Amino acid sequence: MAEFSATVYQNEFLPDGGTDVNAIVTVTCSGAGTAGQTGAGSAGEIIIVDTSGSMGPDTMAAAKQAAQAALAEIVDGTYFAVISGSNRAQLVFPQVRSGPAMVPMDAQARSYASEAIGRFHGSGGTAMSTWLDLAGSVFASVPEVTQRHAILLTDGENRENEGALSEAIGRATGYFQCDCRGAGTDWQVEELRRISQALLGTVDIIPEPAQMQAQFQEMMRNSMARGVADAQLRVWTPQGSQILFVRQVSPAVDDLTDRRVEVNALTGGYPTGAWADESRDYHVGVRVAAKAIGQEQLAARVQLAIGENVMAQGLVKATWSNNSEQTAKIDPQVAHYTGQTELAAMIQEGLAAKASGDTATATTKLGRAVQLAAETGNEEATSKLRKVVEIDDEKEGTVRLKAAVNKADEMALDTASTKTTRIKK
Amino acid sequence: MTDTTCPSCGAVAAAGAKFCESCGKPLGGDAPATPVVPAAVDELSPISAPTHRKIADSDVPSGPRPCLSCGGAVGPDGYCETCGAKAPTERDHFRETPAAWVAGVCDRGIVHSRNEDAMALLASEGRAVLVVLDGVSNSIDSDVASLAGAKAARDVLTTPFPHGMGTPASRTGAITKVLTDAANAANDAVVAATDPASTNPASATFAVAVLEGNLLAHANIGDSRVYWLPDGGTPVQLTVDDSAAQQQIEAGVPRAVAETSKEAHAITKWLGRDAPDIEPRTGQVELTGPGWVVACSDGLWNYASEPGAIAAQVAAAGTAVPLDLALALVAFANAQGGRDNITAAVARVEQNASEPATAGGA
Repeated sequence: MAEFSATVYQNEFLPDGGTDVNAIVTVTCSGAGTAGQTGAGSAGEIIIVDTSGSMGPDTMAAAKQAAQAALAEIVDGTYFAVISGSNRAQLVFPQVRSGPAMVPMDAQARSYASEAIGRFHGSGGTAMSTWLDLAGSVFASVPEVTQRHAILLTDGENRENEGALSEAIGRATGYFQCDCRGAGTDWQVEELRRISQALLGTVDIIPEPAQMQAQFQEMMRNSMARGVADAQLRVWTPQGSQILFVRQVSPAVDDLTDRRVEVNALTGGYPTGAWADESRDYHVGVRVAAKAIGQEQLAARVQLAIGENVMAQGLVKATWSNNSEQTAKIDPQVAHYTGQTELAAMIQEGLAAKASGDTATATTKLGRAVQLAAETGNEEATSKLRKVVEIDDEKEGTVRLKAAVNKADEMALDTASTKTTRIKK
Repeated sequence: MTDTTCPSCGAVAAAGAKFCESCGKPLGGDAPATPVVPAAVDELSPISAPTHRKIADSDVPSGPRPCLSCGGAVGPDGYCETCGAKAPTERDHFRETPAAWVAGVCDRGIVHSRNEDAMALLASEGRAVLVVLDGVSNSIDSDVASLAGAKAARDVLTTPFPHGMGTPASRTGAITKVLTDAANAANDAVVAATDPASTNPASATFAVAVLEGNLLAHANIGDSRVYWLPDGGTPVQLTVDDSAAQQQIEAGVPRAVAETSKEAHAITKWLGRDAPDIEPRTGQVELTGPGWVVACSDGLWNYASEPGAIAAQVAAAGTAVPLDLALALVAFANAQGGRDNITAAVARVEQNASEPATAGGA
């Protein structure tokens, strides 16, 4: 049985008249077990591979190999299916005529599925909404599958009417999780990030076909390690208070504020998807009414719930003090993740400005990103930024845009922008 | 099966009930008794009534009770589930209502980290006892000691005063002796609660008001006070502080100046192992009409020292319900900053004004 714990990092002391409470809550899961093996319903995996005409021979060969390698990672007994996607989606395994279906993994199913993947042939366009919708109906064909996860690989951008993909994402949200990978550099980071963020997955670039197999294996291995099918972050705040934001800040920045569903009048629920043995950090900002010096009150109860069971709870407090030594300190965790959240925004906004030809804004924002990456010790971000800008002064954030930038490096910087590092102890 | 009585509030509870429906405290008597408090003697008392607060109640009982700020439920984490206010411990905020006309509130205030004030009340038909002790905050364990002392003093005062030889003078002497006995019992309890090895022994003030028919007897050591606030009459402070400020006042310094001076809160007498002596100042007064008796610690009177100022706060509270008045007085002191622990114990006197007024002192 999985166990959860919650630890709160904050400076609970507010100055006279202070109203805004910030806290980092680290939620840790242990004993998660294996997906679909904990007695709380079965797990289902769907591999979705782009088979549009744009897939070159090398990419297609690598995609087949990667999808076959992913099959090897799916634990026996797990329901699975394989979808090929072009301007329409096709269920290539299991091959049934009666409609959408999934079958439990075993040696024979793995071998037949592998053969089906080997027959992938590139043709047609790219209509990702149909891929997501078919995945949804395939999952729905097996009611006992309660933990649903898909891997989506594409090499190009969506070719559908504006809105079709958004609607499909809306239908899939809260129903299945999806990790997205883009092969090469002809796909849109923003598009896949939209899918992966809504569907509680990851997004990354696979610049070279040779890297594809390892990425697929890792994604599938991570998914099979998630023995907790679904959990909800719950945030209770006192009557009359206001939630400023609720963000996941580690392992990646993900703003959950607008995904609140009401649990009761004072408690909101936020989706977190499936859990493996792991830690995630959440940044919660609450505005409460100021109280008199010396008063203490609870600003938030941050809970991790499975179904209706609260598995762990962290208490975020507020105590008003007229001792400026107490109130002036910013908690190091709060400061660290505030910086990392801004870092993600600066990278994304800087790259967007660069793409639209606004060199001045791009230089300022990416310069600030360089400064924040240095301040918060995010070496991965610094090294990825280095491939896009010349750094004159890291501390001051003085940079120049590089004249020639490898497209894959720029996309890698973009996809990794939300990845955060933990505070150095 | 018979119904049982809640040891905390005296309400009748259904047989087999785990918690009191009235006050929410656990039933069943498994609360550990405080060692320095003697066994209950109420059963021996001729005036023992169901409204008594018994002695065996634990210092820190647990159990759900509503949020003091908004009335919401308090969660198992100790915070209100509606407004988030931190629920004080039973020691940091407690209330007693031994009869419909007697109530008290003992509160940590805002600035102090614990409540070293203590209070013990008793009431039956026509008789009320208000005991207030204020633990000295720079001594060790004075929160434990003050509560033990308050309960010990109350226990001495469970029976009505003796009448002496029948003459007014001998009755006054007999009453003075009982009040002095109460102070000594409180002192013994404070000393018993003090670690013998302590280099900073617990100490506390002492103030008692006993109402018996028309008689109001009072006693004090230190600077906790008893006021008499007659309806429409002139309010009076009955007790005289044992404090540096009082000495200055007696030397001619105006009260407002003396009580705000640096040394104002230095008390010249107290209970405790290092107490100079345990001779309370005592006095008696015959009440001739309706009004309020208020016993309080300096956490309240710091913000309303003059009898008229206390009377004004009582009037401002605008309530005839004793618990509501005590709560209002504590809320007033907290609104002024709550710089010290606050105790306000009140008794509502309703009687006809036909009796002749005679005051005596010792």
